Amino acid sequence: MSKINANFATEIKEFGGVNFNACYNCGTCTAVCSLSTEENSFPREMIRYSILGIEDDIQSSLKPWLCYYCGECSESCPRQANPGELMMSLRRYLTSKYDWTGLAHKLYTSKVWEFGTIFFLAAVILVLFIFFHGPMTTELTSEGGVQLNTFAPWKMIEIGDWIMAGLLSFFLISNIFNMYLKIIRSNKNLKIPFKLYFTEFWKLIVHFASQWQFSKCDQLETKKKVNFSTYWIVHLLLMSSYSLMLIMIVVFLGWFQTDNIYEWWHPQRLLGYYATFGLTVGIIYFSIARFKKKQEKSKHSHITDWTFLVLLFLTTISGILVHFFRIYGLPFSTYYMYVFHLMVLFPMLMIEVPFSKWSHLAYRPIAIYFYNLIEAAKKSKKKT
Amino acid sequence: MKNKIGVYVCHCGSNISDYVDVEKVKEEASKIEGVVISKTTMFACADSVQNEIIDDIKKNELDALVIASCSPKLHLFTFRNVAIRAGLNPYNYVQVNLREQGSWAHSDDKKGGTEKAIKLVNAGIARVKHSVALDMLKISSLNSVLVAGAGVAGMRAAIELADMGSEVVLTEREYFVGGRASQWNTLFSTNETGREVVERLYKTILGYKNITLYTGADIISKSGGIGNFNIELKIKARHIKSDCGPDRSKFEKAIEVCPIEVDDEFNFGLTKRKAIYMNYPSEFPQIPAIDTENCNKCGECVKICPDIDLEQKDETVNINVGAILLTTGADPYEPEKGEYGYNEIENVITLQQLKRLIEIKEGKELIYKGNKIKNVAYIYCVGSRQPEGGNTYCARFCCTSAIHSAILLKEKFKGINNFHINRGIRTYGKQEILYKQSSENGDVYIQFYDDLPTVKKSKKGAVIKVIDALTANREIELDADLIVLVTGMVPRKNNTIGDILKVPIGLDKFFNEIHPKLRPVETVIDAVYIAGSCQAPRNITESVNSSLSAASKANSLISTGTIELEPTLAQVDKSLCEWCDKCTLICPYNAIIKTEKDGKTIAEINKSNCKGCGMCLPVCPTNAIQLIGYTDIEIESMIDALID
Repeated sequence: MSKINANFATEIKEFGGVNFNACYNCGTCTAVCSLSTEENSFPREMIRYSILGIEDDIQSSLKPWLCYYCGECSESCPRQANPGELMMSLRRYLTSKYDWTGLAHKLYTSKVWEFGTIFFLAAVILVLFIFFHGPMTTELTSEGGVQLNTFAPWKMIEIGDWIMAGLLSFFLISNIFNMYLKIIRSNKNLKIPFKLYFTEFWKLIVHFASQWQFSKCDQLETKKKVNFSTYWIVHLLLMSSYSLMLIMIVVFLGWFQTDNIYEWWHPQRLLGYYATFGLTVGIIYFSIARFKKKQEKSKHSHITDWTFLVLLFLTTISGILVHFFRIYGLPFSTYYMYVFHLMVLFPMLMIEVPFSKWSHLAYRPIAIYFYNLIEAAKKSKKKT
Repeated sequence: MKNKIGVYVCHCGSNISDYVDVEKVKEEASKIEGVVISKTTMFACADSVQNEIIDDIKKNELDALVIASCSPKLHLFTFRNVAIRAGLNPYNYVQVNLREQGSWAHSDDKKGGTEKAIKLVNAGIARVKHSVALDMLKISSLNSVLVAGAGVAGMRAAIELADMGSEVVLTEREYFVGGRASQWNTLFSTNETGREVVERLYKTILGYKNITLYTGADIISKSGGIGNFNIELKIKARHIKSDCGPDRSKFEKAIEVCPIEVDDEFNFGLTKRKAIYMNYPSEFPQIPAIDTENCNKCGECVKICPDIDLEQKDETVNINVGAILLTTGADPYEPEKGEYGYNEIENVITLQQLKRLIEIKEGKELIYKGNKIKNVAYIYCVGSRQPEGGNTYCARFCCTSAIHSAILLKEKFKGINNFHINRGIRTYGKQEILYKQSSENGDVYIQFYDDLPTVKKSKKGAVIKVIDALTANREIELDADLIVLVTGMVPRKNNTIGDILKVPIGLDKFFNEIHPKLRPVETVIDAVYIAGSCQAPRNITESVNSSLSAASKANSLISTGTIELEPTLAQVDKSLCEWCDKCTLICPYNAIIKTEKDGKTIAEINKSNCKGCGMCLPVCPTNAIQLIGYTDIEIESMIDALID
C-alpha cells in the first residue's frame, strides 16, 4: 500500500525535473540503459515513483546513484520526458534528504538561500582578514617574491583549514550515516554479515579513484562513445586536480604556501600547475557543454550547477594569480587576490562538499559500496 | 414449362472438380428432358466464358439457364447479368451451389459428393423449368425525408438533403434544438463551443424553405412504406402563442416569477429550473417552453406576459415522406446507486456532470458542495467494457472527453490535481494530442485491469484504492476531493420511435445497420436510415460523417421519384383467402393489410413493405399465399428431384 502524494512532482521540479510527467510508461529508457540490469532496473521505476510521489521508496533507493547520466534514455524517450534529468534531480533531492540540517534542501530550492549563504561566508572571511591580517609589507624577499606569510602566516591559515575540514567532515560523515540508515537500516529484511563491510571495502576505494562505473555507460554509436570517454577523462582530471589541491591546502599547507620561489620543475610548482590545468580544462569543458546543450546531460542546467562552475572558476583563477603576483613581486595585488581567493574558496567548499554538488564525490562510491554489500548479503543468504 | 435449358457445370479451377466428377454431372444433366446444352467450364465467372454463355443462349434461343458453381451469395448477380445481356429474363436463371454444398462439404467422399452434385443440379433444372419471367417492381416515391432528431447530426443531414433538393421535415422531441452537443462547452479540436455549432446550424436551417422544423414533436404512428410513409406527429403544446411579440424581456420576467422549481436535466440535476424555462439564454428557438408535467397553471407568468397561453393544446400533424432518417442520439450511462459510491458519497459525479460543472462554476477555485476541490480522480470505463451481460462495448468517446475536461478544469481553476484511473487510454487519432498535453500538465495516470478500484467515504472526501499495473501491481491509495465517473453512452431510455418503425436493435441495444462495413447507414427496413449516436457511441465528427452518408443514401433512393424493388414478394390468391388474420399477426414488416375485394374480406400485400421473407406462407390454413420466385410448384419439383 502506498499513498499518492500529489505535491511531490512539483517538489522534484524545483530540484530540476523537466517534463517527466509526460512519461507513458513504455519502458524504453530502462531497455536502452547500459547500467540497468534485470534485477536492478531503472529509470522507469524511478519516474513512476516520482509521478505518484512514493517518497519512501525513492529515499531508500540506490538507483539514482547508479546512473551516470549518459543521456541515452532521454534521447530515446518518445515523449521527451527526460528520464536522465529526472535521475539527476533525484540525486539532488536525495542529497537534500541525507542532509539532516535541512540546509541542502534550502540551498537547492531557494536562490536567496544559495546566494545569501555564499555572500555571508565570504563576508566572514573578509571580516577575519580586516581584523587579523599581518603587516602588509612592500619589502620583497631576497628572491624578489612577496612575503605572503607575513600578511597571512600559514600557521594561522592552517588552523582555519583544520576548523573548516572538521566542519566539512562532520557534516559529510553524518550525512553519509543518514544515507546508511535510509538505505541499509530501513530495510528490515536485509541482514548484512559484519564481515562483508570489510571484504567489500576495497571496491569503495577502487570506485572512488577510478570512477570505473562511469566508463561503463555504453552507447550504441561509436561517435558518442568517443565523446563519452572524453567526458570520463575530463571528469577524472577535474576530480583528481580538485582532490590534489584539497590535500595540499589542508594537509601540506606549510609546504605549499611558501615564500620561497622554487625552480619550475619543483614538485610544489608542478603539482600546483597540474591542479590548475586540470581544473581549468574541466571548467572550460563543462561550461562549453552546458552552453552548447548538445549532450543530453548538459541540456538542462540547474542554478546550482552554474553556481558551482563559477565558484570553482573564480577559485582557480584567483589561486593562480596569487601565485604569479607573488613570484613577480607585486605585494598589494598578491594580498588582495589572496583574500579574494579565500572568500571564494571557503563558501565553495562549505556549500558544495557536504550540502550540494560535490557531495556526490562521496555518495556515488558509497552507493556502489552499499549496492555490493546488499548483493553480497543476498548471495551469502542463498548459500546458507 | 421451360424446355430449352442450358446447363453449365463449373470446375471452379479445381475447387469443385478435385472432389466432384464434373464430367459425370454434365452427362447426367444432359439426359434430362428439356436440357439443350450441357457443358463443363473451368471458370464460369471468367469474362470469356460469360460471353460464350451469352452466345449459346442467343444461338440456341434458350429459355432458361442453370449454372452449377459457387454460392449465389458470390455470383448470383453476375450470372443474372449474363442472362440480361443475352436477352433472357434474370428470374429464369437458377444458380446451383456445387462448391460450398458439394465439393467443400464432401472432400472426404468423392463418390458421394458427385452423387449429391448430380441431385443438386437436377433439382436446379427442375426449379428452372417452372420459373417465371419477372420484372422489377416499380413504385413511385416522394422526394421528401423525415429527419428525426435535431441534434448536430440531424441538422447537418437536413441541410445536406435540402441542398440536394429533397423536402425535409426535421423533428425534435425536445422544445429546443441542439441535442447533446448544446450541453458541451468547448469542443476539441476547434475550441468552438457546442452551442456555437448548434447556433450556426440552426441559423442555416432557417434560410431553407424546404426544411420544416417541428420542436416538441413526437412520432406517434407510421403507415405505408418505402417511397411513401405516412407519419403522424404529435406536437406538444409549448404554451406560447405562435404570434408572440419580439420583446424577449417579458419572457425573462415570466421565468423569474414562476414558483415551481424542478431538477434541471440539462445540467444533469446540478441546478434547478422553473416550469417555464429555457436551458440557456441563447437557446433556439429563442422562445421559452412550459412543461405541462410540472406546471400547476398558477397563472403568475400570464400576468406578466400575455403571450403565454396555458390552455394551448397538443396538435397532431400528418406528413408524407419517401424516406426516414433517424438521428435520435444517445443517453449517458447512469451509474447504479452505489457504483463507485454514486448517489451515496456526495462528491461522486459523472463525467457529464463535470462538464456542466466546469461551465457553470465561477471563481478562481472550484467549490463543490461547500468543499474546495483539489484532487480530482477520474474512474474510467464506468458503464463500458462491462463483463458479459452488461455493456461489453467500449463507448470510445469517453477517454478523450475525460482528458479534455481535465485539461479545461485545470485551465479554469487553481490548484487542481488530476488523477486518471484508467483501463488503458484510447485517445485514437488526433485526440492523442490531448493525452500528451494532459500528462505534460502533470496529470497522473494509473492503470488497473481486472481488479476494479474501490471508493470509500472519508472525512475529507473519499479514498480510492486501486492496484496499479504501472507500478508493479502495487496497491495505491488516493485521497480525492471529487470523483468523476467517466460514464459511456447507452441507447436512449425512451426509444419508442424504434418500436414504431420496427428498426432492429443490435446486441449493444443501439439501432442496427445491415452491414457494419458495406451498408453502414441502412437498416433492413427499406428507406429507413440511421446515423449518429443512436446507432453506436460516437463523437460529433463521427456522427456527422454518418449522417451525411445517410443523407446522400436517402436522397439517391428517392430523388428520381421511382424506386425499383425485387419482385420476389408474397402474393395472395383472392379465391382461396378466407381472412383468418394469422398472416398479419406473423408478418414482421406490417406488410399484410385486411381489405375488401368484390364483397369478400381478404388479405392484401403492401408491396413496398413486403420483404419476401416467407413467414406468412406456412401459417396460411388455405395455402392462399405464394412467394413469387419460390412458388410451391418450384419448391416441390426440387424436392422431387432430390429424393428421386
